[in-house]
Amino acid sequence: MSLQVFRHWIPTVKDAFDRTLMVAKFFCGLHVTNTFLCTCALAMGPSMLPTLNLTGSLVLVERLSIRFGKMASGEVVLIRSPEEPRKVVIKRIVGVEGDAVGNEEATAVVPKGHIWIEGDNKHNSRDSRQFGPVPYGLLEGRVFWVMWPPEDFGSVGRKVENNSLERSLVVKKHKRQKFQG
Amino acid sequence: MSRLFQFVRQWKPIIKEGFSQSFLIAKFLCLLHVTNTHVCTPVLVYGPSMLPTLNLTGDVVLVEHLSQKFGKVGPGDVVVVRSPENPRKTVTKRIVAVEGESVTFLVEPALSDRSHTVVVPRGHVWIQGDNIYSSRDSRQFGPVPYGLILGKAFWRVWPPDAFGSLSQE
Repeated sequence: MSLQVFRHWIPTVKDAFDRTLMVAKFFCGLHVTNTFLCTCALAMGPSMLPTLNLTGSLVLVERLSIRFGKMASGEVVLIRSPEEPRKVVIKRIVGVEGDAVGNEEATAVVPKGHIWIEGDNKHNSRDSRQFGPVPYGLLEGRVFWVMWPPEDFGSVGRKVENNSLERSLVVKKHKRQKFQG
Repeated sequence: MSRLFQFVRQWKPIIKEGFSQSFLIAKFLCLLHVTNTHVCTPVLVYGPSMLPTLNLTGDVVLVEHLSQKFGKVGPGDVVVVRSPENPRKTVTKRIVAVEGESVTFLVEPALSDRSHTVVVPRGHVWIQGDNIYSSRDSRQFGPVPYGLILGKAFWRVWPPDAFGSLSQE
């Protein structure tokens, strides 16, 4: 008698299994897209004002640039924090390997395989000025579009520092010294 | 025009079959990729920096990613790490110290007995190869952020006479 009950439920179980498999396949595809193509991130905190909001901006992050070529200076990136490995932060790349970064008081050269990141809000940002240059391998993606809030909707572009002329002179001087020394 | 129609009608089932087989292969590769990235993957390791634990000419080891995700990677573990000097390269070394611990190491063991002590900063680990005479590790490039650790090597698959677990030192 129990065998009949069992046989009665088989098509339902099969149906449930098929639907679960379909959902699993969808999530698999979504995960692959998120990891290799494009994903969203919620950015919170004051360190990237005025580019990103204090209370939360929904941004689109693309993952192709970090794999297929070096990131350039001025891009806004998603990066795993070197101080807290479970945390992912959003900052702007100010210098790549070989660049000289800093101001009149202190200058540093970014070593090979590393990048120098800083938040746009220089007064309230914990970045490479505190924890030093960050290995390129910690990069997770490039922020290229803001989805929310609606008044910020639009692309996030590259921004080269204001003192770019001074920086290029410092870089040239350092390169000359490197060859002569 | 009708010949084109007939041609398409002839090839339609074959194209359909081709699509469904490709989807099957794609789904298998998807599952293989997810397993490799998040669970366990084989890695070919070569070079002199981990002698005598790992061979010079190449060992295949199984690397699991779960310990790293749950923060259970600690001193004594052999780990696969993305190189801080070349982001496209991965290196295999042993964790000697984690954040907060102080490390005393020989700066140039082949030349002198000079040693140096460093405290590992927050969120970082100190990695060294077992063969300190021929290894480029934290003694040269400093402590490595925990986020660069890819996984823990726990089992050796090749060569067959060295098949077995990579026990802690």
